Amino acid sequence: MTILATRNDVEIKNVVKRFGSNTVLNGINLEIKQGELLTLLGPSGCGKTTTLNLIAGFLEADEGDVYIKGKNVTHIPPYKRDLGMVFQTYSLFPHMTVYENLDFGLRLRKVPKPKKQNRIARALDLVKMSGLEHRYPRELSGGQRQRVAIARALVVEPELLLLDEPLSNLDAKLRHELRAEIKRLQKEIGVTTIFVTHDQEEALSMSDRVVVMNGGKIEQISSPTTIYNHPETEFVFQFIGKSNCFHGTVAEINNRKISVQLEDGWVTFVDADNIMGSERTCRPGDEVKLYIRPEKLSLASAEQSGHLEHFHKATITQMNYLGASWEIDATLLGKSVQILTPMYDASWQIGKEVMIGWNPSDIMLIKK
Amino acid sequence: MESVRHHAHQEVIREPATIPEPIKTKPRKKKKAYLPGLLLLLPILLFIFGFFVVPMLYILYLSFIYTDSPNATNAVYSLKNYALFFTDSYYLSSLWITVKVSLYTVLVSLLLGYPVALTMAKSSPRIRGYIALLIASPLLVSIVVRNFGWYLLLLPNGTINSILTSLGIVSAPLKLLFSEVGVVIGLSNAYLPFMILAIATSLYNIDPSLERAGAILGASPMRTFFSITLPLSLPGIVSGCVLVFSMSMSAYVTPALMGGANVPMMPIVAYDQINNLLRWTFGSALSYVLLATTMLLVTVFTRGFEKSRFREVFR
Repeated sequence: MTILATRNDVEIKNVVKRFGSNTVLNGINLEIKQGELLTLLGPSGCGKTTTLNLIAGFLEADEGDVYIKGKNVTHIPPYKRDLGMVFQTYSLFPHMTVYENLDFGLRLRKVPKPKKQNRIARALDLVKMSGLEHRYPRELSGGQRQRVAIARALVVEPELLLLDEPLSNLDAKLRHELRAEIKRLQKEIGVTTIFVTHDQEEALSMSDRVVVMNGGKIEQISSPTTIYNHPETEFVFQFIGKSNCFHGTVAEINNRKISVQLEDGWVTFVDADNIMGSERTCRPGDEVKLYIRPEKLSLASAEQSGHLEHFHKATITQMNYLGASWEIDATLLGKSVQILTPMYDASWQIGKEVMIGWNPSDIMLIKK
Repeated sequence: MESVRHHAHQEVIREPATIPEPIKTKPRKKKKAYLPGLLLLLPILLFIFGFFVVPMLYILYLSFIYTDSPNATNAVYSLKNYALFFTDSYYLSSLWITVKVSLYTVLVSLLLGYPVALTMAKSSPRIRGYIALLIASPLLVSIVVRNFGWYLLLLPNGTINSILTSLGIVSAPLKLLFSEVGVVIGLSNAYLPFMILAIATSLYNIDPSLERAGAILGASPMRTFFSITLPLSLPGIVSGCVLVFSMSMSAYVTPALMGGANVPMMPIVAYDQINNLLRWTFGSALSYVLLATTMLLVTVFTRGFEKSRFREVFR
């Protein structure tokens, strides 16, 4: 079993895909482990849907190969791949009942009737849709339709489950609900799942690993926490979550601590582990950009400034109450920064001076 | 020629009566909202009333008047015109020929038209536009001109027969013109655009991801077509068939030119009664028998499909 557990269910090797003169995938390499939930995340046009369509077989790679369970499927049509897929538009067959929709794939697989009924009942139970077998898709709500679509994909016991932005047509509440449910189902069944989304929150909350794509290339493949806290590229930092950016020059490097002089002469430290980019090194004198997340900045009142080492003076320009937290815009070193904090101090007012501070391990650095 | 044109005009006016109107949805608004809309529709309502409803009612009225001869003064209200129709095998066979030729026309244009509609639905919008233009282009040529074009091809010594005999496929020329075959060829040619566009419209409305869903579940392209695309295009097939059938039932020019006296379809017989024999009242009865038959068959056909296994696609 240990051998199986580390086996790759999908391997994509050096895949290039062009539409006319437009290269949408430029040498993609990807390995998907058995039983994992992997998310393809990126802005529209990044190639995530194209990658999914290559795995599904709706598109054929111009170069490179696609393997599913060790078998080269590059030139095999989708109907011979034995996959399950859930589409953005639900794509239930409108002229068939819920039961008939689920039966469609089983009939093609010539599953005997008693077994078939059993599997359909189980699949509907799994997505909490029992009792609605004889409804037509038209008679179901958006959330119910997507549940049936998931059941239809799972009932054939596919080699892989492909999810193409399945939640994007649902309202926020349903989206959260189904997000948790898909995650639960996936772990329960253990089917290797590839999930395409442009919603970073969805990607971070559901996945075992996240693949961030941009411009037909893979930027980073990591666990959600690594993607968020230790992005490897500037793109990943900016695409996932919000970011503040400062410009500076590397002053000196001392014992894994890099000191960076910011524009007004103020010096801050950065952990050497936090260098982004392909080289992951820098030298004194290098022009660099520093990135930090809004929730990693801390605020203190101007009066407390005396006790704090890494704090800097800033002026509040805007305060937005978000319920669970405050979103505060301030001017720091002549630049607008955003701070996200669950705390509130009555002395923080628009136009007032506050102190902003950070931890060296929370700053990411990239060479210009 | 004058009389042909005159009658072709009547034919055009009569057609809408045989096509079931789309179900109107009543907007649930205050009564005031209707008024401006009604005013906008007033001219066309008056036009249709004056030039369609009134003449149709007058013809219906005429059909219940029986006279021995055209200029007799002993006219009486009677069902005798209808009785005459249903007891004379000539008229009954005329109705049967009309239905038969129309059904063949529907079949031929469906079989020829569906692949074209499918091609259109699979093409890019630009290619689709070109195909639509090509399909509609025959409509720019007068039906009379097109029929005489067919003459050159279908005559016993015409192009098709010359080729067939010279290749030794047939020993004697086929009777293509002045036969039911000729009428079916002519009518299919004339009404094919309507069939294609009706089917194409319903194919456009099918979510392309449904075919993908079929494929990913394991259905071959053939299987996907028969299980998903074809049933979902049924509304288009039904409306195309109804359109072509009712137009074929009431066609006059093509049957007259392509079939002549050998294919006495109902409009030709009715025309003959009214214009040549001056039996206006009997001709009126023939017209109403044709209209009733068309409406009955169209209704049975449409209802049959709407209550079929695929009733869900008609909602």
